[in-house]
Amino acid sequence: MPNIHDIISGSPFGRFMGIETRIDEQGVLAILPARDNLIGNTSIPALHGGAIAAFLEITCLLQLAHETGTTAPARTIDFSVEYLRPGRPEATYARAKIRLMGRRVATVHAEAWQRDEAKPVCLVQCHFRLPGSRG
Amino acid sequence: MTRDNSDDLPEAAASWAGAHASQMVTHAPYAVALGMKYLASSSEGRGSILLPWRADLAGTDGSSIVAPGAVTALIDHTCGLAIMAGFGIAANPATLDLRIDHMRPAAPHTDIICAAHCYRATKTIAFLRAEAWDVSPDDPIATAQAAFILNRREG
Repeated sequence: MPNIHDIISGSPFGRFMGIETRIDEQGVLAILPARDNLIGNTSIPALHGGAIAAFLEITCLLQLAHETGTTAPARTIDFSVEYLRPGRPEATYARAKIRLMGRRVATVHAEAWQRDEAKPVCLVQCHFRLPGSRG
Repeated sequence: MTRDNSDDLPEAAASWAGAHASQMVTHAPYAVALGMKYLASSSEGRGSILLPWRADLAGTDGSSIVAPGAVTALIDHTCGLAIMAGFGIAANPATLDLRIDHMRPAAPHTDIICAAHCYRATKTIAFLRAEAWDVSPDDPIATAQAAFILNRREG
């Protein structure tokens, strides 16, 4: 089983984002602690949508690594984000769910929330090409 | 850009694009932290931003390629710039949805450029297309389609 913490600490962008992880019975819980340099709009203020999307993409990759048991990287094919609410400048949490694990491609959904898991701030749907698959 | 409500647009939008559009990059802390550089914009609803290669933007795959998440942020921000350039600061855009297709990985150790175009807008919604490339705009690493909400009263 790959060590999810090692994947983040071995990823320059993961470290840049300051992402933390916990593993529980549901899988990977990813945590994005609030930091000033994640702000997109200082007048609201709100987290940058791109920061939340990047956080969710990494959450998907971590859940894939957790379930496939490999640290070989999956490659993003496409990525679709919906923003439901502004992200406040506070800790953000995310979980990803693998909806289909094919031989070559995985379909993964993920969502991010802040204080209330029932009120997500952002949803993503993405396809990843799995490591070891060709073409 | 096709505008459904051109009468509502302040004349100030065009001059804002020229004078202040670069602030869209320099005044957003996450854009600054990623190292984004303003390249150009126009009141036609176009904008472009450069993301210089930096080792701490490399992804989880152990390569020296900009992480897809950083490219996502670049595309989102460039779309925001294109809207602000077309409508001025009062547009106060927020991303509704953004879809990105990753055509191929970027070349290692390479800067990324993104260009976005707001090709249609109503009073409340702006529709955009964007491309990101490393070497040539004819060979994009990613293409994107986005919808933004405009003129929100609250944050």
